[in-house]
Amino acid sequence: MTTPTSFLAAPSSALDIPETPDLERMRRETGARLRSAMADRGVDALILLGNNSVVYATGVSWPLGDAGLSYVERPVAVVLADDPHPHLFLPFREGASSESGLPADHLHGPVYLEFDEGVENFARVVEDLVPAAAVVAVDELTGAMRRAQPRLFRSGRPADAAQIVGAAKLIKTPDELSCIRTACRITDAAIVDVQAALAPGIRQIDLSAGFTRRAFELGAMASMLEPIWQVMPKNKADGVWTTHGDLALPLLTTERELAVGDVLWTDVSITFQGYCSDFGRTWVVGEEPTPRQHAQYHKWREIMDAVLDVTRGGATAAELGRTATKANGGTRPWLPHFYLGHGIGVNAAETPMIGTDLGDEFDENFVLEPGMVLVLEPVVWEDGTGGYRSEEVIVITEEGHIRLTDYPYHPYGER
Amino acid sequence: MATEVLADHRALRAGRRERALAQMEKHDLDVLVLGRQANVRYVSGTPQLWVAGTRPFGPTCVVIRETGAIHLLSTWDEGVPDDIPHENLYGISWNPMNTISVLKGIDGASTAKRVGTDALSPGFAQLLPMAFPNAELVDGELAMRAARRIKTAEEVAALREAIRVAEVGLAAAVAELRPGISEKTLAGVLLEAMAAGGVSTPVTQDAAWVTSRDHPWRRASADGRVQAGDLVAFSSGVLDGGYAGEVGRTWPVGKLDGAADLYRRWNALWGRLYQGCRPGAPAIDLLAAYQAAGEELPPMPIARGLGLGFDPPVVSQHLPATAAEERLEPGMVLAVTGYVWQSGVGAVFGREAVLITSDGPEILTSSAFASVAVGS
Repeated sequence: MTTPTSFLAAPSSALDIPETPDLERMRRETGARLRSAMADRGVDALILLGNNSVVYATGVSWPLGDAGLSYVERPVAVVLADDPHPHLFLPFREGASSESGLPADHLHGPVYLEFDEGVENFARVVEDLVPAAAVVAVDELTGAMRRAQPRLFRSGRPADAAQIVGAAKLIKTPDELSCIRTACRITDAAIVDVQAALAPGIRQIDLSAGFTRRAFELGAMASMLEPIWQVMPKNKADGVWTTHGDLALPLLTTERELAVGDVLWTDVSITFQGYCSDFGRTWVVGEEPTPRQHAQYHKWREIMDAVLDVTRGGATAAELGRTATKANGGTRPWLPHFYLGHGIGVNAAETPMIGTDLGDEFDENFVLEPGMVLVLEPVVWEDGTGGYRSEEVIVITEEGHIRLTDYPYHPYGER
Repeated sequence: MATEVLADHRALRAGRRERALAQMEKHDLDVLVLGRQANVRYVSGTPQLWVAGTRPFGPTCVVIRETGAIHLLSTWDEGVPDDIPHENLYGISWNPMNTISVLKGIDGASTAKRVGTDALSPGFAQLLPMAFPNAELVDGELAMRAARRIKTAEEVAALREAIRVAEVGLAAAVAELRPGISEKTLAGVLLEAMAAGGVSTPVTQDAAWVTSRDHPWRRASADGRVQAGDLVAFSSGVLDGGYAGEVGRTWPVGKLDGAADLYRRWNALWGRLYQGCRPGAPAIDLLAAYQAAGEELPPMPIARGLGLGFDPPVVSQHLPATAAEERLEPGMVLAVTGYVWQSGVGAVFGREAVLITSDGPEILTSSAFASVAVGS
């Protein structure tokens, strides 16, 4: 049976977030959340392959690598409803620094689920761990796993583990919040040097180089996406072709040299103990923003303030979206392929997502709860200005929210 | 890298697509639905945003065998080659039902009999039959793997360039090696140098570590700092133009007793591994090379294919039957790892990129090896 666990209360102020995360407590509490989500859906065992899900379920973290290699050399977790400790199958190095948190009999050698022989080996262990009648959920099936389905999933077709992990991840424990906040602090500190280096003639890729170096020096575990320093077009019509006719974002970084007056939309993310930061600001290269550009920022500020005003436990995602749209004069202040905001945790973007093609009903039914973390990222655009986009990372509380970042909006903000 | 985002050049794209279509025919696949970045790049020739770690399966690219048409998830056309027209692009979606309705509308979806996917989630296992109502859903990764396994000449050229950038990163990090520096700073230096060299997409970010004197492969350093007398391993990998270039080396910090002998053991092992990289040789010869050298097999694969991500063969002590069936062939590019450990000294780890040619192995990596102690 599930071990009863008393969760630390959701924080009501920044003081309730520990300065340093207690990783052992974090794993215990996220584990309890995960098993409770399993119980809600009647699932007895989870088999997790996705890097982020394994981080969440086991508490191990490692510098994530490229997807291609990660398919063959990846940790795999098996979570049982009646066992407080997950089973972990570790390849060389990955997660090695955190492995001590688990009992020795829950640590296994690497498994290679891309290959029939690897699945065969894995199935033998699973047969011992998971009773034949157990309801099993899995997040990904490799080709070799599909060929071995009757052996791996003896009680029938597996359920979708992504839903279960997604439900557990929604509300963060105070230690998870501490990890996210530290990731954001490392990011903000690294960005200070990047912004200082911003000048005409520097290449986009040099900003990536400087950021990565500094972030690692400051304790980042990994970069989560290739850093984005997108030069915005003067007018929407000058931008690259898109399926929806609106702006493209994010466009990839190149060796392009930045020029005076370029407006950059930036986006970077790193991890600390497996938890992600998010950073986005708008910058102008080599000159002060024009009055029209400042006005873009002020419009963005109005929208952000209006949204933050209604953001609290009990508010719906739809309420935030409507408020943003109203503050923007009736037009949605976000790009059609994205959202007003998204959750963040072991994934750089996770549920809830506000204002996507999941539709109004999804947003109306999604109620914010204390302990959820949101990245709000409204976008404003007026031809001739390069627009404005910045991101705020907040924790939902009963009464409102706690900001996890305080990076300035320079060179925007003052007239 | 250039100053704009460009599609992979025509010859590279054409050679890969031909191989992919041939494998679709061989595996009797009418349609491929691909979600893995490597496969999507292989058939589409389009650079895509790099995100760390595995991604959940989602239909990112659809290949129709009969017409050769490619449909691609891309909200914009930057970097998309002109042989994928605008009407074949579909935008980012968060609602799987919207993705399914796009797939449903693709010419050839309704009549397809066999549809291969390169991975699958339980969710898409339920939804995909709505887009392909007359099809059996099967594994498509085997077909893609067979296509990726042998490199075209253009691919080998791309791999050489990726390896060059990885070696620039390695050299920068080795130059900074000294007592007191942290493993993370070394990783930062390495990644910085690769980005300054034009590529901000690493294969690995676990770039430097102090090898343990007490355990064959665990991490040594509790605080992540390098000390005099350590053997420090460097693993440099970059994804350049989608291709994974990798190189690994180990450098001592100052003088340490026993290091010279360990490097000699590594050299002896490498000699045997090199011998194993002959065209026609069974991949299991590489496992045998460790035994013949009297070295314990390390926990990581000692060889795996280099290309867009991982390719066959993957040679590991945990997959002996797979290695016994697999034969090395001209056109394969392997990352081959030599790993030796001595209690009380540490480990020497070295990884070389090897092209199998009909004349024998060609080593693509050329980074210096430690011959004298550095730092102090």
